[in-house]
Amino acid sequence: MTIALERPVSTHAQSLARGIHSEWIKVRTLRSTWIGLATVVVIMIGFGALAAAMATGSVTDPGGDGGPPFAGAGPLGTALSGANLAVLLVGVLGSLAGAREYGSRMITATVTTMPRRWQVIVAKSAALAAVMIPTAVIAVMGAYGVAMGILGANGNATVALTDDGVLSSLLGMVGYLVAVAVLGLCLGSLLRSVAGSIGTVVGGLLIVPALASALLPDSWDKVLQLLPSSAAASFTEVGMAGGSTLSAGAGAAVLIGWVVALMAGAVVAIHRRDV
Amino acid sequence: MIELERLTKKYGAKTAVDGISATIKPGIITGFLGPNGAGKSTTMRMIVGLDRPTSGTALVNGNRYAATRAPLAEVGALLDAKAVDGGRSARNHLLALGATVGIGKRRVEDVLASVGLTDVAHRPAKSFSLGMGQRLGIAAALLAEPDVLLLDEPVNGLDIDGIQWIRELLGELAADGRTVLLSSHLMTEMQLVADHLIVIGQGRILADSSIQDFIEESGGGSAVVVVSPDAGLLAPLLAGDGVTLTTREPGRFEVRGRTAPEIGDIASGHSLRIHELTPTQASLETAYLQLTQDSVEYAGTTRKAA
Ligand SMILES: Nc1ncnc2c1ncn2[C@@H]1O[C@H](COP(=O)(O)OP(=O)(O)O)[C@@H](O)[C@H]1O
Ligand SMILES: [Mg+2]
Repeated sequence: MTIALERPVSTHAQSLARGIHSEWIKVRTLRSTWIGLATVVVIMIGFGALAAAMATGSVTDPGGDGGPPFAGAGPLGTALSGANLAVLLVGVLGSLAGAREYGSRMITATVTTMPRRWQVIVAKSAALAAVMIPTAVIAVMGAYGVAMGILGANGNATVALTDDGVLSSLLGMVGYLVAVAVLGLCLGSLLRSVAGSIGTVVGGLLIVPALASALLPDSWDKVLQLLPSSAAASFTEVGMAGGSTLSAGAGAAVLIGWVVALMAGAVVAIHRRDV
Repeated sequence: MIELERLTKKYGAKTAVDGISATIKPGIITGFLGPNGAGKSTTMRMIVGLDRPTSGTALVNGNRYAATRAPLAEVGALLDAKAVDGGRSARNHLLALGATVGIGKRRVEDVLASVGLTDVAHRPAKSFSLGMGQRLGIAAALLAEPDVLLLDEPVNGLDIDGIQWIRELLGELAADGRTVLLSSHLMTEMQLVADHLIVIGQGRILADSSIQDFIEESGGGSAVVVVSPDAGLLAPLLAGDGVTLTTREPGRFEVRGRTAPEIGDIASGHSLRIHELTPTQASLETAYLQLTQDSVEYAGTTRKAA
């Protein structure tokens, strides 16, 4: 049997760029990545199309009173009806990206090949963002285009990309989706559990804001504005759970703060803990 | 070369590795032997920085592993063959690992071929048998031609062919001047492969010597079992300095301190009959068991029939 090492291989210093390349190979060679991303696109465009059709009255809510249920949402809100669900799904995808190697123990190989461990978090985040950004653009712009097409064809009001605030809210939605994916990744890495991370994402984006605004006195509103979902509502202008009184810029800064804080936490944790 | 300096790891109150100091030299195969729970895996994990030592240091070629320039080219580690993302193909698994040090398709194909996985490299790793998984783990360890190889129980799950293959492979790697450390809880595996033995029990080093010295220090070397109808006449002729004879049953005894050819020659010189002359390595296994007896963590208990 011929064995091993006939000719020397040329190796190079391990670097962050090579780490990102490695994580990029990992992301694109898992079928679940593509299934998950396709689902995000389908949900955004599908819900947008369905909501637009319902708003025109051509599809009615069988359980409702026959009136168009999305009439009050405005054309942009109608187009982005799938946003809440897509955000949760993206959080799940991020959680998988951050925690799945702890389930398979592949993380041991990852950390041995990248022993400067902060690079693991940064490289995984970069690789995830590399697929999340185009996906979110396709999903959000696709939902907008399809919904406006349906609304316009039926003589309903539409908004143009050049209208005030439309493009910025759509891009805001793209940014929110990408941010939630990275938040999920950092949580997944911190908690080392896909299920735990998904639970935290759902709880943090959906349950906590709803419960808190229902149960806490109004004096807490200022604090609740700092939840990721409320912060995002300031620049997506889609009724995310919570609602917002922050300016778009302040909301974006708060959300970025969350990403930076969780990423820093994930980096510290991966350095401190045994793998 | 691997240098361990009072390496210690505690998990809470439990001391898994207790002040191990040793130098693992290049050019030979060092066997890391000890019963389950002795601390072999923990030690190897500390060498590549997966576990942080509670105290002490582990250096690879003079550096802390985390400070090495091209980690994958420094140390090839097979610590857990199952630690692979099952959804990814074997080829893509290796491509992803290799990318961290700029290794690409060509080398990945070479390594796949050398471990005999080319035909199944497109299949998701979760479809692999234990033996195929071990081969994939070895492929990953060899990917960047590392100077140092760490293999934690690599023979587990391999068939006879696979074991033979690993033995040849490790021999070549050592002959090439690389440092090879492989662990096992079975002396029978080690005596086939290793040149040098580090025996540990309950986190401490019990022996650190060449296989040859280990054999000699542990009860006078290997024994030869002699079966002869003339045992009563033969035995006195074999006696001498450093020779021990143990009679097991009439006509059958065990000789330490003389080789089988010597015994055969003496017998034929006196026209004595020999029916059986069997060199045994049993003493090695016995010595190991005696050495580690006191340090076995979970001694097996025999369940009494009700
Ligand atoms: N992560 C851990 N937490 C607590 N105890 C551990 C951990 N890893 C290993 N141990 C304990 O440390 C001891 C040594 O384990 P290990 O290094 O796996 O032994 P070996 O590889 O020789 O079988 C065992 O008693 C084991 O139970
Ligand atoms: Mg072990």
